[in-house]
Amino acid sequence: MGIGNAGTETALRILVVEDEALIALELESLLEDLGHVMVGVAGTAAEAIALGRSTTPDVALVDIHLVDGPTGIEVARALSADRRTTVVFMTANAKRIPEDFAGAIGVIAKPYSERVVASTLDYVADRRAGRADPACPDGFSPAPA
Amino acid sequence: MALVEAFANSLSPMVITDARAPDNPIAWANEAFLKVTGYSTEEIVGRNCRMLQGPATDQATVERIRGAVRAAEPISVELLNYRKDGTPFWNAMTITPVRDSDGLAFFYAAQADMTHIHQLEVSMRGTNDELERLVDARTQDLSAALEQKTALLHEVDHRVKNNLQVISSLMLLKARRTPEGEARDALQSMAERIGALSTAHRMLYSEGDCTHFNLGEFAAEFLADMNAGLDPDRRRIEADVEPIAVAAAMAAPLALLIHELTANALQHAFPGEREGRVSIAARRTDDGMHLIIRDDGVGLAATPVNPAGFGRNLVEMVVRQMRGTIVWADAGPGTTVTIDIPLRPLP
Repeated sequence: MGIGNAGTETALRILVVEDEALIALELESLLEDLGHVMVGVAGTAAEAIALGRSTTPDVALVDIHLVDGPTGIEVARALSADRRTTVVFMTANAKRIPEDFAGAIGVIAKPYSERVVASTLDYVADRRAGRADPACPDGFSPAPA
Repeated sequence: MALVEAFANSLSPMVITDARAPDNPIAWANEAFLKVTGYSTEEIVGRNCRMLQGPATDQATVERIRGAVRAAEPISVELLNYRKDGTPFWNAMTITPVRDSDGLAFFYAAQADMTHIHQLEVSMRGTNDELERLVDARTQDLSAALEQKTALLHEVDHRVKNNLQVISSLMLLKARRTPEGEARDALQSMAERIGALSTAHRMLYSEGDCTHFNLGEFAAEFLADMNAGLDPDRRRIEADVEPIAVAAAMAAPLALLIHELTANALQHAFPGEREGRVSIAARRTDDGMHLIIRDDGVGLAATPVNPAGFGRNLVEMVVRQMRGTIVWADAGPGTTVTIDIPLRPLP
């Protein structure tokens, strides 16, 4: 597809918090195509928080509805408490996101396109590298400043 | 003494107090007053009117009466008084100072039992409260029903979007595991069609208006998705689409239509390494929408006839569904597809 532009220096270690196995599986292939590394998949809040602790990912892509209910919000809050992890919601239920975004930097609305996932991860990589004010990719809705 | 007789027989309770005697005692009361209060003449003459007050008598009103009496000014008030048997009654009274040649001599008070008026007020207030309670209860029922409907809409919307994501993932997963060739291409292009439908669906319900779909916004997202998969030096898609609002029901067919024509052009108009451009233009007319999709490729005549012709078939089906018309023309160079779709006339 050639949509990935993550070089080895911008490869991100990504935790996927998603209870839908098919979506998680396809996302893993996409992340690989983009040159990133998926460090784990969690389907419940407890799994997600435990995996977050053991892997300290660069990025967590967090769905709101998990096996144990709309617990993605508390997952985001717990994972973003570690400043090494950047949290991005990835959900078809953006209306549930609280005003403060629970520590997440924004949301990718489902159903997403591969392009939006790719450009959002580039944006996250730029932000983490401290590159000055990367332009916010379209299709990604940032949390209010 | 016709006047005294008239007072004595009056149906209005009346009382006269002696302003010159200590503590302003009752000097005379008529039959009606005795009847209302339940006392006999002997029991009240010589006593101050405050004997009629009781625990629920309003002290501020009592103070106003005292002030008026002290200043020897007339006053009209309503006061809760008590009968001899202890039952309260609302006593509306007008107290008038009466002077003779030596100055203030008496106070004359005419009264009226207002208890029934007060009861009426209380029962009216009760009725109003009851009505308000009923209205509140119904409003609450309606709000609860609306809340439930809104929650249900969100739930359904969430499920549809999530399912679209699952379907898309399923297609892409299978495509990845299918060897390169026709089957893989078919899966890939199905995933793309679902992607276009997903883009349309993502825009529905995302804003407050859930009955309309903005074609301009869709075109912008669609374009970004399509161009992301192209080599920008060789191929480009451009759009000039007005922010046309169409009914939500038209979102999916329009998304499919635009995707199909664009993908078709990219696939067939530029064989080999040929460079090219596809443009999408849409504008509102008085009674519909005028849509043009143009490429500067090899043209219809040069395109090998596709026996399955699924893309073109799909396009014509969707146009028919929207009761529109479609014209395919060789534009030399390239192909121009012109579509007119009727919409409800602008207000």
